[in-house]
Amino acid sequence: MLRKLMKHEFRATARIMGPLFLIVLVPALAANLAIRFLLDSDVFLPNLLGGLLMAAFVIGMASLAIMSIVLMVNRFRTNLMGDEGYVTFTLPVSSHQIVWSKIIVSTVWFIATGIVEALALLVCFFDLDVMRNIFNSYYFHQALQALHELVKRYGLNVPAIAIELIVFCLLSCAVLCLEFYAAMAVGHSFANHKGALSVLFFFVFQFALQFISGLLFNLDEFQNMFYTGMNGMQDFHQMMAVLIGMELLIGAVYYVVTTLMLKKRLNLQ
Amino acid sequence: MAILECNELVKTYGHAPALDHLNLSIEPGHILGLLGPNGSGKTTLIKLANGLLTPTSGQVLVNGAVPGKDTHAIVSYLPERTCIPLWMSTRKLLDFYQDFYADFRRDRAEEMLQHLSIRMDQTIRQMSKGTREKVQLIMVMSRAAKLYLLDEPIGGVDPATRDYILNTIINNYDPEAAVIISTHLIADVEQVLDEVIFINQGQVILQSSVDQIREEKGMSVDALFREVFKC
Repeated sequence: MLRKLMKHEFRATARIMGPLFLIVLVPALAANLAIRFLLDSDVFLPNLLGGLLMAAFVIGMASLAIMSIVLMVNRFRTNLMGDEGYVTFTLPVSSHQIVWSKIIVSTVWFIATGIVEALALLVCFFDLDVMRNIFNSYYFHQALQALHELVKRYGLNVPAIAIELIVFCLLSCAVLCLEFYAAMAVGHSFANHKGALSVLFFFVFQFALQFISGLLFNLDEFQNMFYTGMNGMQDFHQMMAVLIGMELLIGAVYYVVTTLMLKKRLNLQ
Repeated sequence: MAILECNELVKTYGHAPALDHLNLSIEPGHILGLLGPNGSGKTTLIKLANGLLTPTSGQVLVNGAVPGKDTHAIVSYLPERTCIPLWMSTRKLLDFYQDFYADFRRDRAEEMLQHLSIRMDQTIRQMSKGTREKVQLIMVMSRAAKLYLLDEPIGGVDPATRDYILNTIINNYDPEAAVIISTHLIADVEQVLDEVIFINQGQVILQSSVDQIREEKGMSVDALFREVFKC
């Protein structure tokens, strides 16, 4: 059933995200052409047009990042807490399956958004003198050399670092979704002011999280974990393990809050 | 075994009671009218049976189980308003119901949609209010469920659509299933009912067969309702 929920979740969200991806990629191409032919022009009109195309590209990039978050929040609200909830919550599926389908699909869209944004930047600056100049510059070579030195001196395992960072980013995306879901699930369990209470609970969760993290990072025992004579790579692994562990813990708390609220205090009036 | 059973069921909204120690037991094989004035607790009871609300106290059981994943597989629910996703086309809606409900009879649904000349590529948003309600009802009645919970199926539609809806219900439900129709438009549904439950202020005040009411009271269900709930 989770697979079917995800199929329909992708159907529902792809109709928004698909066109949005196009809206970013097309201005990226236009921005590339603008840099090539319009921005250096001495004539006012092509110059203005080039500027507008660049602005459209920047706005498109920002909008895509914002929209992927807005869509994730809005989809949960309309599909579960709005009228559609009458259909969703009477499906022969568990609330765990419903929440997992939302988390997985939203995380996939976050990743896709990151890929499309990177792709749009590549399209925008593809085969341009400005990029060639950067890559051929003295500073770029110096930076590369410094990176090689670091890898050699501290025995940095670049693939391991990359994998740990990717895992951490994916988890952070899922936890971000769960934080919004938990706030909405709690807010909508009340009889009135559901929207306002959802926002309030989001900030309450944020405050509680920052407060507890602050207390934890301030503990001497916690800080000493990273200064016990280990080398750089070991330090990094340990730090990432702690960060990933913390994300898992935070995500688990939000997950329990969300599913418990949907199961025990569902209040579709 | 009762298909729907409520034991001392209480539901309050804040301090206002919607259901007040309600007890009832409904056997399969009947079309039952859940009748009561506005605010009597009909919709609350149906939502509780669907697990869309949680009881304040007491118990609601569907086929002997607390509402959840398993009971959803045997209950076909028509909400009081259109709740199917507006962005979906008719075809996607059919896919949706077919994917989730093993008892969904797609051929029957397609036949009814064709009869109404509803295009497969038309989205729900593009349809009129009446057509949306018909489409939602077709999806609900195309399931071979054990219990149909229909909340105000004929509220807010024209008389011709009312006839269509009632015919769809009669022609499509499984005779071994129970159909519960919640409404206050009694005259329109009386012809299809086997049994009635009168509900007022969150309590059952009468449960009887339609024939019994006619024989014992010598009046129609509509007339009895007007007498009982006289303002």
